[in-house]
Amino acid sequence: MKVINKITLGLVAATLLFVGCNENAAPAKSEVVKPTISEDSLGLRKTTLFKENVKPNGTKYSESYAGSGHKIERAFQDAPPMIPHDVTGLIPIKIGNNQCLGCHMPEVASAMGATPIPPSHFMDFRPVTTLAADGEVEKDGHKIKNTSSETLKNVSIKSNHGKLYGGRYNCTQCHAPQAVEPLAVPNSFTPDYINKDGASKSHWDGDRLMEGIDTYDASK
Amino acid sequence: MSLSRREFLKSSAAASAAAAIGMNVPAELEANASAAENGWRWDKAACRFCGTGCGIMMATKNGKIVAVKGDPAAPVNRGLNCIKGYFNAKIMYGADRLTKPLLRMNNKGEFDKHGKFAEISWERAFDEMELNIRKALKASGPEGVAVFASGQYTIMEGYAAQKMMKGGFRSNAIDPNARHCMASAVVGFYQTFGIDEPSGCYDDIELTDTVVSWGSNMAEMHPILWSRVTDRKLTDPDRVRVINMSTYRHRTSDLADIEIIFTPNTDLAMWNYIAREIVYNNPDAIDWDFLKTNIIFAASPVNMGYGMRRAGEKSMTPVRPDGSAGKYSAKEMETINHEMVHKVSAAEAPALEPYGYKEGDDMVNKPAGLKHWEISFEEYKKFLAPYTLDYVAKISKGDPDESLESFKKKLQTLADLYIEKGRKVVSFWTMGMNQHTRGTWVNTLSYNVHFMLNKQALPGSGAFSLTGQPSACGTAREVGTFCHRLPADMMVKNPHHRKHTENRWKIPEGTLNPVGNQHIMKIHRDIEDGLVKFAWVNVCNAYQDSASAKHWIKAARELDNFIVTSDGYPGISAMVSDMVLPSAMIYEKWGAYGNAERRSQHWRQQVLPVGDAMSDTWQWMELSKRFTVKDLWGPYTLRNGKKLADVRKAAQALGYNDDTTMYEILYANKEAKSYKIDLNSFPQKGYDNSDCSGDSRNVIGGDGKVAKGCGFMVHEYLWEEYASFGRGHGHDLAPFVTYHKVRGLKWPVVDGKETPWRFNVKYDPYAAKAVAKSGSKSTHAFYGPLAKALPQGNLLGITDKNKKPLTDKAKIFARPYMDPPEVPDAEYDTWLATGRVLEHWHSGTMTMRVPELFRAVPEALCYMNPKTAEEKGLKQGDLCWVESRRGRVKAHVETRGRNRPPRGLVFVPWFDEKVFINKVCLDATCPQSKQTDYKKCAVKLYKA
Repeated sequence: MKVINKITLGLVAATLLFVGCNENAAPAKSEVVKPTISEDSLGLRKTTLFKENVKPNGTKYSESYAGSGHKIERAFQDAPPMIPHDVTGLIPIKIGNNQCLGCHMPEVASAMGATPIPPSHFMDFRPVTTLAADGEVEKDGHKIKNTSSETLKNVSIKSNHGKLYGGRYNCTQCHAPQAVEPLAVPNSFTPDYINKDGASKSHWDGDRLMEGIDTYDASK
Repeated sequence: MSLSRREFLKSSAAASAAAAIGMNVPAELEANASAAENGWRWDKAACRFCGTGCGIMMATKNGKIVAVKGDPAAPVNRGLNCIKGYFNAKIMYGADRLTKPLLRMNNKGEFDKHGKFAEISWERAFDEMELNIRKALKASGPEGVAVFASGQYTIMEGYAAQKMMKGGFRSNAIDPNARHCMASAVVGFYQTFGIDEPSGCYDDIELTDTVVSWGSNMAEMHPILWSRVTDRKLTDPDRVRVINMSTYRHRTSDLADIEIIFTPNTDLAMWNYIAREIVYNNPDAIDWDFLKTNIIFAASPVNMGYGMRRAGEKSMTPVRPDGSAGKYSAKEMETINHEMVHKVSAAEAPALEPYGYKEGDDMVNKPAGLKHWEISFEEYKKFLAPYTLDYVAKISKGDPDESLESFKKKLQTLADLYIEKGRKVVSFWTMGMNQHTRGTWVNTLSYNVHFMLNKQALPGSGAFSLTGQPSACGTAREVGTFCHRLPADMMVKNPHHRKHTENRWKIPEGTLNPVGNQHIMKIHRDIEDGLVKFAWVNVCNAYQDSASAKHWIKAARELDNFIVTSDGYPGISAMVSDMVLPSAMIYEKWGAYGNAERRSQHWRQQVLPVGDAMSDTWQWMELSKRFTVKDLWGPYTLRNGKKLADVRKAAQALGYNDDTTMYEILYANKEAKSYKIDLNSFPQKGYDNSDCSGDSRNVIGGDGKVAKGCGFMVHEYLWEEYASFGRGHGHDLAPFVTYHKVRGLKWPVVDGKETPWRFNVKYDPYAAKAVAKSGSKSTHAFYGPLAKALPQGNLLGITDKNKKPLTDKAKIFARPYMDPPEVPDAEYDTWLATGRVLEHWHSGTMTMRVPELFRAVPEALCYMNPKTAEEKGLKQGDLCWVESRRGRVKAHVETRGRNRPPRGLVFVPWFDEKVFINKVCLDATCPQSKQTDYKKCAVKLYKA
C-alpha cells in the first residue's frame, strides 16, 4: 500500500494545525442612527452584486502526508476529527478499497501515527429489520408498534464483532480535509472538553453512548 | 453468556470481537438523566439541514450549545450524523449574526431605497412593514403582497405565515423555496396517487435487494440514508445491487455496482425503455391482477412549453428588431422563444411520432395546466413502441468516451434487475428528476415501472421520492405553504376546501382568495413587472437561489417596491433588501420538522436568541397586530377581474368588529389561549420559551415595550389547530406533547400507531378502510381524492368528455421524451448543472460560517473533465469564466475532484456568494409543477 511507504514510523510530532477559532467577535454596534452599513459590507461576497469579475476563494489543502503526525484539534468533545493530511490518491472510497482503514484501524493506528477509529465505529446501533412471516415488521426479532417509543426500548446498541460498522464505511461523510484558507467569518462557538484529552480523542463509548438520551423520563 | 448492560457497555469499549455477543440494550435501565455531572444538559432535536431528518442530541451549558452527537434512539440515523449534522453545534455562532433590524435610509433617518443601512428598533421595523404593505395593497390589491417562504420554516412558522397571508391579507402570493426542490414530485404524487408524499419509508433500505439512484447524489445529499444503503450493500454484497444513474460521476458512483452516465433529460427515455422492455419483451412480468384492480392508463398534452416567460408579458415588451424583448436581451430570447414555438429535434422525433410530430415540425406551445385523460392499455403500448434499446441508447449515452455497446449492456441489465421476479427494488431520486422541464412527467414515469411489476408500496420495493429540505414535506407540503394549497392537500381553488378552512380559522366565508398562481418564479416575475410591491423573504435566500438571478436583483433594487429579508445571517437576499430583520435560528426557538418518510419531529428551545433576534412566528404575530378587519377585509378586484367579496359585515357575525386585529383573530384567540404556559410540567419545564413568555434579554418589541411573549403556548396551539385539518383525512398527526416523548412518528398516526407503507392494506388503516368500503379484495387502495374521475381519449386528446370515476386507483401515464429548451450548440457548447456539496447547505449562509465546513470546501469549483479542460486551454486550478446567455461567473477549474463529469458537462455548486452561479442558470420550469430546472443550461468556458 503506497501510503505505508510514505509513512515514517515514530514520527509523532505534536504540531497541531489549529483550526478552531474562538474569537468572541461581535458585530459592531453603531450608536448613532446614521446609515453607515453598506450592502457590500453584508455577507461574504464583499462586492456589488452586479459585478462579474469577482475573485473566488482559494482551496489549498494541507500538504502534510498521512502519518506525519499533524493533527487537528476536535471542534468539541467527541466531534469527528478533521483530516490533517493530504488525501490525494487515498480517495475515493470504494467497495473493497477503503485506504483510510489501512492506517486508522485500531490495531495498526498507533504504529502508523494515525488516529485510531474509536469504539463507537465498531458498534451497530441499528436494530435488525426483517419481515415476519405474516408481513409485520420486526426489529431485532420483535414486532413493533412504532419505530420510536417513549420508553426507549427500541434502542439497540450492540457490538459489531470487531468489524467496522458498514454505515460508517464512507469516512468522508464526517471527516474532511481542511484548506489553509482565512475564514470568511470567525465563529464564537466555545468547546467544553469534559475529558482532559477531549480535544484529541473520542470518549463516546461505554456508558457515554447512552448519556442524556432519556429526554422524557416517564417515571418522573 | 449473559452480561449486565453496564458490563456489556464497558466491555464494548475494548472493541474486540470477543467482547460481546449481539444483544439489545434495555435502555430504560441505564439511560442517564439529561443533566449530567459535567453541567451539560442533553436534549433531543432534529438536524437543521437536509430532508433525511436525522435526530441529534444537543448539549447546552450556560446558555450555549457545547456539543452535538448522533441520537442513538432516533430511528432515522441511530447515533450517526454526517459532517453537517455534527456541526449543527456551531451554526448559530458565526460572528456576523444579525442582531438588530436594519433599514436603508438617508441622513435624516427616512427610508431611502438608495441609502445605506442603519440599525432601527423593532417598532420602527414594523412601522415600515405596515406602511409598505398598505401601499402595496392600495396599488395592486392582495396580489401585490408576497412572501418567499420556506421548506426550512418550522411547521408552526409555516402555518402561522400561511394564516396571515391567506386569511389576513387574502394573498396567495406565498410560495416556498420548496417549489425549487419538490414541486415536480408533488404534482407527480397528485397525478398518480391523488394525494401527496411517498408510500414507502426508510426501512425499505434494509429490506430491499436493489437500490437505483436516479439523478440523485445520495452519498453527498442524503449521507445518512446512503450510510444505510452502504451498510445494506456490505451486509449482503452478492445479493444487493446498487445502480447509480447520473449525468456525471460523483460519490454515489463510488459504491455502485453499475454506473450509468446519461445525457441530461434522457431519464424520460430510459424509464420508458424499461417500461417497453416489460410490455413488449417480458409481458409475463406484468401483474395483471394488480393492474386491473388498481391502475388506469392516462395521457396529457405534450406541447405545453417550458415554464418560461411568455410573449406579451409586461417585461417582455416591446419586441425589438434585434430580437430583444423588453428587459430580455436578444441572446436570452433565443432560448425564451422556445416557450412559444419549438422545432422538433432529431432526438425527440421518434418519441413524438405517436403524437403526430416529425423532425423539423414547429410545435406551437400553449399552457396546458394539469389536464389529463384516461387512455387504453393498447394506446399506452403504442406510445411505448419507439423506446427500443437502439433509440434510447443513442440519445441517452452521456459519456462520449464510452462505447455504445457498453452503455446498451448496462441499460439492459438495469431493466433486467427491475423485472427479475422476486427481486425487490427501490428507486430513489431528488433534484435530478425534480429540477427538470418535464419534472412532473419523469416523476410519474417512475411509478409506471413499479406499478406494472407490482413493486410499489411494498416493504423493500417502490419508487421513493426523497425530499431535499428538512421540512419541505412537513411544512411546505403538509401545511400547504404554497400559493395554490391549503393544509392537508386542500386547494385554494376548491370552494369546499376554502369554506372548510375559513370555518376552522373562524374567518368569514368568502375571505380566502380562490386564485393561487403566484408560485416563486411568478413572484419574481411579478416584481419585475411592477405588480408585487412588497415582498418578505422568510427562512430562505430567494435572491441567491433563483435562476436568471440578475433580473430579480435588478427588479428589487431598481423598481418602486419594498423588499424585507428576515434571516440569521446577512446573505445575498439581505444585500438586495430594503430592510433586514434578525431572526432567531433553529435551536433558539421551539419547532418541528417533517422529513421524507412522513416522520414529524419536534424540539424544544435550547438557548436564547442572540442580540435582539426574534423568531419568525413572533414576527408574524407582531405584524398581524398592525392590521384590522377594516384594513384587510373590504372588497378587491383581482388582476384577472375576479372579485373578492367585502367580508367586513360577515366578520361582525363572527363577533369581530372593524377594529379587531388579525392578531386577535388568527393567533391570540380563545382556542389559542386554552393552551397554557406550564413551566412545572413536561415538556415546558426547564426550557425557555421566548415567543410565549419573553426572556431575560427583555428585547423591546414591535410596540416599543418589552416583549413579554404572547402568554399562551402558541407552538402547541398552532400544531393542534394545523393537525386538526388532517386528522381523519389520511394525514393524522399525534398530539403535540407525544412528539416530545418520542423520536418522531410517520403519519398517518392512527390510534397511536404510525404508518410504514401507505396505500397497502396491510400497513395503512386508510387503505384497509377503503377496501372494506368498496368490497375489493385488493392488496392496495390508492385512495387519494384528487383527479379521481377522468374523461376518455387517446394520445392525441379527449374523445369522450364524460368523466369516469377511478376510485382507489392510481395512474400510469404516457409521457414522451422531449429535449430541454436550451441545449448546447456551437457557441454555448457545454452543459452546466448546479447543485450542492456535502459540506454546505443551500446558499451557505450557515455552513460557510462554520470553520470546519468552510475549510472543507471554501469555494464553489467548476468541476470538469480533464479533456474538456484541455480542449478549452484550461488547467487544474486555473480561473475560468462560465458564461451563458444570461451572465457569467469566474471559478477555479477542478479536474480531479469528487465530481467527475464526462466531456461536455460541468458542475458548479451554488453555495458560494462569490461564484454566483444562478446568474448563469436558466429559469425554465416544469410547466406543470413550476419547479426550476437547475440541472441544464448551455454555457461556454474560457480562461479568465
